[in-house]
Amino acid sequence: MIYVTVDSIGKESVTKHQPFLNDDQNDTLLFEKLREHILTHYPNPEHIGCPAPEILKKLIDTPRAVGLSDLNDLHIFKCAECTRALMELRKQREQVEQNAPEV
Amino acid sequence: MWAAEIPYCGTNVMPLSSPSGFCWNVKFPPEQEWIEQAVLDAIEIIWQRAQKTARSRCGDVSLARELMEVAIQKTVDRLQAGPPVAPDEAGRVLYRIFVQEARCRQNATRKLVCLGSNAELPPVAAQNPFLPVDSAIDLDVILHGEAAEVRHALLLRYSRTSWTEVATILGTTAASIRVRCNRALKRIRQRWSIHENGT
Repeated sequence: MIYVTVDSIGKESVTKHQPFLNDDQNDTLLFEKLREHILTHYPNPEHIGCPAPEILKKLIDTPRAVGLSDLNDLHIFKCAECTRALMELRKQREQVEQNAPEV
Repeated sequence: MWAAEIPYCGTNVMPLSSPSGFCWNVKFPPEQEWIEQAVLDAIEIIWQRAQKTARSRCGDVSLARELMEVAIQKTVDRLQAGPPVAPDEAGRVLYRIFVQEARCRQNATRKLVCLGSNAELPPVAAQNPFLPVDSAIDLDVILHGEAAEVRHALLLRYSRTSWTEVATILGTTAASIRVRCNRALKRIRQRWSIHENGT
């Protein structure tokens, strides 16, 4: 059996301990974490199984027009390249929206 | 009804939206234009059968697409070396290569020993500071058996579409779609110790 002193696991372990984090109504933190995880753990440099770039663009611009079969079901959840492309497309779209003149 | 628009779920076969969707990453030889058309026709011919093969050999119909992409590239390489062939013949070549790929995948999977899944681990294990364990999650396990509507909603939200917009797209309310996705969200939350707002 291993014994440890209270001092050795006291404050230090509390500060190292992963804190519980509160998310918002849109589950923003959850999906941010998910994206981080997929970018780190699912590299796919050969784009195996990736939907065409136009489909990803459509998913951002007109998501209603894209079905699960177009996206190869849950492939994006296993692909850092698609995730990166989606983030880039979303950023571009937000920039366009910001620059658009107000009506 | 939205769910009726997506008749496949889980192990059922997926409809083929467009054969060219498989080929955007494939390098067709510019001097042999017939190959591209023959391969596109071949995909249409064998797609249903290929999905059934993926399901029976690998146990997962969603692998059909990536197996198909690998098979397409190999088929193109093979067709380049010979004279022009009809779509039927291209289909036979493509299907043969597809089966080979499925068999390779099947053999590779056989060598793995699966002892449960990440989803079955208690969340405490990932929070323990003394265990530098990479809390990798297996989304396949977490989302296994979820309805097509839930999977679609999660993908839309993942692409940074807000729940309100997701609900509009799926013809429901934000609250309703979150309730539908709740089980999957809860299981993902457990992996990263993220609490819902106000809980």
